[in-house]
Amino acid sequence: MKKGLLITLIVIAAILLIGGITVVSTYNGMLTKSEEVDGKFADIDNQLQRRANLIPNLVNTVKGYAKQEQDIVNSVTDARSKLAGAKTIEDKSNANTELTNALNRLLVVVENYPDLKSSQNYMQLSDELAGTENRISQARRQYNEAVKEYNLSIRKFPASIIAGIFNFDKKPYFEAEEGSNKVPEVNFD
Amino acid sequence: MIKEVLKTNKMKHQRKKRQRIYFAFFLLLFILILSNMTSVTLAAVVSPTSDFYVNDNAGVLTRETKQYIMDTNVELQRKTGAQIVVVTVKSLDGMSIEDYAYQLFNSWGIGDKNKDNGLLLLCSYGDRKFRVEVGYGLEGKLPDGKTGRMQDEYIIPYLRQNNFDEGIKNGYSAFLKEVAEEYGVTITGSEKAVQKGTSFQSIEIGIYMLVMFFFIFISIRFRGRGGPFIFFGGGGGFHGGGFSGGGGFHGGGGHSGGGGSSRSF
Repeated sequence: MKKGLLITLIVIAAILLIGGITVVSTYNGMLTKSEEVDGKFADIDNQLQRRANLIPNLVNTVKGYAKQEQDIVNSVTDARSKLAGAKTIEDKSNANTELTNALNRLLVVVENYPDLKSSQNYMQLSDELAGTENRISQARRQYNEAVKEYNLSIRKFPASIIAGIFNFDKKPYFEAEEGSNKVPEVNFD
Repeated sequence: MIKEVLKTNKMKHQRKKRQRIYFAFFLLLFILILSNMTSVTLAAVVSPTSDFYVNDNAGVLTRETKQYIMDTNVELQRKTGAQIVVVTVKSLDGMSIEDYAYQLFNSWGIGDKNKDNGLLLLCSYGDRKFRVEVGYGLEGKLPDGKTGRMQDEYIIPYLRQNNFDEGIKNGYSAFLKEVAEEYGVTITGSEKAVQKGTSFQSIEIGIYMLVMFFFIFISIRFRGRGGPFIFFGGGGGFHGGGFSGGGGFHGGGGHSGGGGSSRSF
């Protein structure tokens, strides 16, 4: 009788131990993936900051050559301040897309001003801008891959139960649609 | 008596069946390994040759230019850890030149692992595009705007006239000067790039050979003479260029974050 009880206790203890180890390792795995996502987003954020910093200079250069294009210049400036004020990842993502669209319109307009287009200052700025946009798009790809891996890991059963207990939430993609943020081609023919 | 003959026949039959299952199993395993290897070989971007520093896939450079790039790179790498790789391709296979350069840079590992001081000059002959991709460590010396200006000054005018060799050599020299300046060294070009032993490569081939012989051996044991021929048929995949990495010169493991500039010409 006593022996039977002992065996039962040992079995229960073993189950609890195995269960506990599983929970801890699953939790740690999710935490690591979550940190990875945050780290990758910091990379994007740095480049977004850099992009925003380039805009005032670009705007001033364009103004010097094309005074009558006030509307388009304003839309770029507005989009820039929206990006600067964005707090959440979704807001930043949307603001960045908006800035991209505004900049693309600006680049089309610049085609009408050959002097502006061939000025040393403008050429340098558009190279810096294109480079930053390329960095954003490479960082975005890595971020989105990390998000995909993380989101999958918290939704798989039975890990999803542990994710629920410890409040691991789904993380958003950054500008998920490919092509919404194409690097504008710089061509000085 | 008859019963016994029937029994041995049955046993023979069973053994044959088992052999066939083994054979199929090993064949499957072999195909799996082979398909794994080819998936490694079929990377989206071109693979480095044993020369590493220059891969003239489009065939637009003269031997002297290639030798010059090799010699100066060996000296630069010894003195600073930096690497300046020149790649020409016929086509980007539908990729943007930014993505192509980024992938190539990071898969080749151009520049020192800790200093990330690599530089890539990539020319697509078919797409008529040129890109300079800068490793993290050189972004201070070579910001995007400057790389664009240097391209416009030293490279693009030549490429517009289809003078690829001179344009690329000219541009390479200009960037070499910048990198040397960054580290306060002078590159004399007096060193010669000599291929050292290819020990890594031969070990790699050795392992593949061993695996192959193992399968041939197994197939002979279980199948008799028919086996090896099938395997040799499958073995054709080995010539695809799986060994093109390895020996000679290597990347230092450097990274790029997508900095640099692109031009059409």
